[in-house]
Amino acid sequence: MNDYRKPIPQIQPWSAPFWEGTKKHELLIQECAECGARIFYPRKYCPECWSSNMGWSRARGRGRIYSHTTTMTGVETKFLEDLPFVLAIIDLDEGVRMTGNVVDCDPDDVSIGMEVEVVFDDVTSEITLPKWRPVKK
Amino acid sequence: MGKGKLAIVGVGEVPTGRYPDRAPWDIIYETCMQAVRAAGLDKNDIEGVISVNPMAQARLSSEIGFGKIPEELGLKGCNDVCICNAGGASTANCLRLAEQWIDSGIAKTVLIPHVTVHSVLPPDDLIAFFATAGMDLQWEYPFGTTYNGIVALMSQRYMYETGTTAEEMASVVVALRRWAALDPNSMFYKKPVTIEEVLSSKMVSTPLHARECNVLADGGAAMVVTSWDLAKEITSTPVYKLGQGATYMSASAVLRDDFFTREAWRKTTQTALDEAGITSNDVDVFEFYAAYPFCQCVMLEAAGICDPGEAGKFIMEGHTSPGGKVPCATIGDAVGRGHTGSGVSIANYVETARQLMGKAGERQVPDCNYALATSAGGAYMNAVTTIWGREPQ
Ligand SMILES: [Zn+2]
Repeated sequence: MNDYRKPIPQIQPWSAPFWEGTKKHELLIQECAECGARIFYPRKYCPECWSSNMGWSRARGRGRIYSHTTTMTGVETKFLEDLPFVLAIIDLDEGVRMTGNVVDCDPDDVSIGMEVEVVFDDVTSEITLPKWRPVKK
Repeated sequence: MGKGKLAIVGVGEVPTGRYPDRAPWDIIYETCMQAVRAAGLDKNDIEGVISVNPMAQARLSSEIGFGKIPEELGLKGCNDVCICNAGGASTANCLRLAEQWIDSGIAKTVLIPHVTVHSVLPPDDLIAFFATAGMDLQWEYPFGTTYNGIVALMSQRYMYETGTTAEEMASVVVALRRWAALDPNSMFYKKPVTIEEVLSSKMVSTPLHARECNVLADGGAAMVVTSWDLAKEITSTPVYKLGQGATYMSASAVLRDDFFTREAWRKTTQTALDEAGITSNDVDVFEFYAAYPFCQCVMLEAAGICDPGEAGKFIMEGHTSPGGKVPCATIGDAVGRGHTGSGVSIANYVETARQLMGKAGERQVPDCNYALATSAGGAYMNAVTTIWGREPQ
């Protein structure tokens, strides 16, 4: 697991709880305790009201695909082994939008509006990336 | 937004393409000397130098940022020097800073140069630069985002919502390459493409084919700008800045409610037109620097030329091509010109000036009195729309 060559997220002190969550296979969303805003990506202070009183809530881990693309070429060497891979924007049920990968399916089957669920990829002993797969009907 | 009283009085440019033997300083000398001579000025008349930051070339960027250009060129009258970096919107900021220097008396005439030499950089370094520049290292890059990938996501959603077909999207490239085919400074001079050729090129990131993506190239350009008053004395073909609108969207595409950036362009277009005191019907040429085909569509829709979702059809009918009723992007945008990092934007302003000076050769739009030019930086972080004209008003 330590031969992972692709970039790992550059974590900031205030985003650390998100990555501690994924490591435990939980998807956490930052929430402002002052104004109630749900925030992605995590910030040091609330981008709505500048409060420092920030908390986290556990997301259901479900969402829909807003847009997607299957990348076939034009990537750095370290991503070559993954080609083709699906990059997507996911609208979570909780109202935030994330960029991620759709996995465990044929890229041609991915479509806008498709329901997806989070799946956790333990890429190193320290880092777990949240990814997405189609919800089985 | 402050009308300013800025005018372009001279431009210089070298052909875009892969010229590994042409060093950055060859390009700087050539473009700057061309621009100063075209303005009919002496080198010592240049009182300020504001450069466009070259992307992915850290050494060159620091040489220029730390004041080398006036020294190399022997600009004895130079009062100050600076470099601007806002990605593809760098040139827009060079022009605005020049306007401030001119208004405040720091400099009567300002030289704005740009140079990029990609061909000597290792291909992996270039891919790595364009994979990470403008991408979030925590929330995007670990998932394999690239510029092409981000724009593919935007294009996919645009096609889904508007019903724009793959043929219509390919026709945007056809139109841009028709303009580029008439431009001796383009790497695609005399090389038009067909819809079939676009659609049969390699798929890069669905729905973007290779010919819908940009080819990295070397290039460079320079402009000399001054005040409205001085412009009239210097040259018979001054190009006046008449109005501008600007707005910031977001660094990350994922944080944008206005996902296609259409509303941002609508707003800045309207502000610029209002300030110039004209309507989009008065605009003779739309110099859209959109960087990718789908955004040419969005900008046409934002300018009110087409209803949302209709631009692909309109472009496929040839209306934006040479001889069409709404000429757009007459250097062919980045897809037609070759991508010179932050340089496509200056090339777009240089072409805007050429069209209004009546010096655009085979691409010349007849009776060109008003031009609209756009720039944006990063992954569409902002929208800047400027109206330029042949007469002050
Ligand atoms: Zn708040």
